Amino acid sequence: MNTHMTKRIAIGASTLALAVAGIALLPERAHTSRATPAPDQFEVAMRQGDSVMAPRFEVDPNFPKPLPNGWVLGMSVGVGVDAEDHVWIVHRPPTISANERGADQSPPFGTCCTAAPPVLEFDQTGTVLRHWGGAVAGAPYEWPESNHGISIDYKGNVWIGANAATDAHILKFTKDGKFIAQFGHAGKSTGSNDTVNFGAPAKIVVDKKSNEAYVADGYKNRRVVVIDAETGKFKRFWSAYGNKPDDGPLGTYQPGETPKQVFRGPVHCAMPSNDGLLYVCDRQSDRVQVFKTDGSFVKEIFIATKTGGDGAVWDIAFSPDAAQKYLYIADGKNERVYIVDRATMTMLSSFGDGGRQPGQWFGAHSIATDSKGNIYTVETYEGRRLQKFVFKGVQKVARWQGVPWPKK
Amino acid sequence: MGRTLAVVGAAAISAIALAAVPSPPAPNYTVDKLWPMPLPNHWILGSVTGIAVDKQNTLWVAHRAASLNTRTEAGLMTTPPSAEECCLPAPPVLHFDAAGKLLGTWGGAGEGYDWPISTGAVVVDDNSNVWITAAGAPEPAAASAGATGVVAGAGRGGAAGAGRGGAPTANAPVVQAQPPADAHILVFNSAGKFVRQIGKPGQTDASSNANLDKPADVAVDVAANEVYVADGGAHQRVVVLDANTGAFKRQWTGHGGAFERLSSIALSKDGIVYVGDRRGNKVQAFKKDGSFINEIGVAPTTLGNGSVWDVALSSDAAQQYLMVADGQNESVIIVDRKTMKQISSFGTGGRWPGRFYAVNSLAMDAKGVLFTGEGYEGKRVQKFLPQ
Repeated sequence: MNTHMTKRIAIGASTLALAVAGIALLPERAHTSRATPAPDQFEVAMRQGDSVMAPRFEVDPNFPKPLPNGWVLGMSVGVGVDAEDHVWIVHRPPTISANERGADQSPPFGTCCTAAPPVLEFDQTGTVLRHWGGAVAGAPYEWPESNHGISIDYKGNVWIGANAATDAHILKFTKDGKFIAQFGHAGKSTGSNDTVNFGAPAKIVVDKKSNEAYVADGYKNRRVVVIDAETGKFKRFWSAYGNKPDDGPLGTYQPGETPKQVFRGPVHCAMPSNDGLLYVCDRQSDRVQVFKTDGSFVKEIFIATKTGGDGAVWDIAFSPDAAQKYLYIADGKNERVYIVDRATMTMLSSFGDGGRQPGQWFGAHSIATDSKGNIYTVETYEGRRLQKFVFKGVQKVARWQGVPWPKK
Repeated sequence: MGRTLAVVGAAAISAIALAAVPSPPAPNYTVDKLWPMPLPNHWILGSVTGIAVDKQNTLWVAHRAASLNTRTEAGLMTTPPSAEECCLPAPPVLHFDAAGKLLGTWGGAGEGYDWPISTGAVVVDDNSNVWITAAGAPEPAAASAGATGVVAGAGRGGAAGAGRGGAPTANAPVVQAQPPADAHILVFNSAGKFVRQIGKPGQTDASSNANLDKPADVAVDVAANEVYVADGGAHQRVVVLDANTGAFKRQWTGHGGAFERLSSIALSKDGIVYVGDRRGNKVQAFKKDGSFINEIGVAPTTLGNGSVWDVALSSDAAQQYLMVADGQNESVIIVDRKTMKQISSFGTGGRWPGRFYAVNSLAMDAKGVLFTGEGYEGKRVQKFLPQ
């Protein structure tokens, strides 16, 4: 809490005061930064012997069923599971190249293929049910230039994020695609301390206990924002360690760097747990930060800290047991899903690898679990798939399980 | 009887006979969703440019590492690496057994030959030599910095102007600062030992009929010691060369009009040369001397990149079927070779197993198992089992 308090002072001050505060903060900084490099949970796990008891998964190569109507997907950037265990995804039709959507061209190149609508609902058999989304002339909302992130809240409402440079808003729909609300407006972001607009917000998740929506904000902003899920009114926001957000230059991530006092971002997930904690993906910092719901910092873990570029911590899902014993982290750079024991925040195992076959990924972007413990992933870039990983129980598994094909 | 007539008879006679002989039932295929086995070493495939099955029923694959996006996909490829665990391009040539196990890899620059800017087709001849066409052109500077790895109008494997169905580069001026475009064919033994090179990069001019221009595909007639080349780029001809020396023997162009963009060539056991014209949306059949036999239009209204990306013959003794890879409509088309009529097709677009993005290569093993390769961002090989 001391760090938390002093940082708020530091960020709020003038440049001169910042320098002074920086000196005053030195002991605290030493406390929260790496005198020796912070343990990298991936490396720790790989050093911990050959096997461990942890959840095991097998990819289901038959899921989903072929899309109808000659539909193909663009960058697939959000996945969520609703109370009926239906799987919802959001993808970006504008990212599909002309040669892949030849039937959409004028005149058509041929019979294949056409872009699927941005939002798709799948049942447990992998059949497409509802589908909607996209810009509509005269609509009372601004469909994002680049939609991003999807979740279905406890009331059955669908939340969609947005990550183009001008996207400064989030959208809320019914499952039928009926517009409910837009919070923030395109092009209106004034940065990480804006109290109305967002800055390319990645994902929104509603906490049932408080009816508050946690917004991972985002690609431009460096904060978590908590809003009232009905009114959209901003209630509180914070950056790394609970600090006030600061949009000053950070430079490029360097492996072994002193952890930044703000989120590098993109702030790619903000996931509230059943026991009142919030897990935030600071993607390019290769870390998860854990907070209480009031924004007070609890702890952080680092993962695959040699990872530059897009970073290693992309999205988080919890196992569906009441205790949410396991935390699953998608890493679309190293193409892994990490399995973390949530109580200790130690990594147990990981699975997956790069590639275009089942159980492999290119840009494992988002992750969600259903009530049976199965995992769903979607891939951005040129991966562009929804995949299902069937939970096979907690078993003795390798520290890296490789590509999780069904055991014959 | 029908076959005898078809082979020996005049076109009119065989047409009458064929009217009474229905086409054979089309084979049905089911994708093997878990094939091949995951590659070791966090290796991934770039755009596949060619596949071939040899007499041992093993599969050869050539892919193009340069089509991989080093920022997003191949983070271990750069110095320093941007990723910690994944991924790296697999070596250029991969060899799989029927179970999908990786048997070996080779390829890349070496002594005594010019490794292609982009590989094209792969063909294994009856002596188990591996033929690889060199079908690439230097990437435009803007394209090489691109984020997606897809070059607009790209060829078989995504290379700019690549020969096997690539974008028109006919008569494009040579930019002096860039390396010369591919214009050659490489032959290796199955262990990857260099055997010979036919042609020379950049050497495309008309001073010799033997000069090639981004050759898209070859068919090897071991008995006659001849290689049939689908010669691409500005040439757009079939040229027959001495398989050992590369000496010119004969050539021909399209029947009823120039080939628009040659992608592929196959030689049947009964001596028919099938030539795939991608942008022409057709396959033309010729005798070995170049005399025209017949043709089939394949999805003839196709625009964009065209419909005929590869041709392959079925592996039954009679080679009843001509298989066509259509990487624009994302399907495999099955043609009754006797009638040159389409009798079936399968496939559609997508990234899941059994679907295609830029299916551009076909090969069939002795058991009738069909293999496919995908260019652009498909970047995989798939196996289809006959039912």
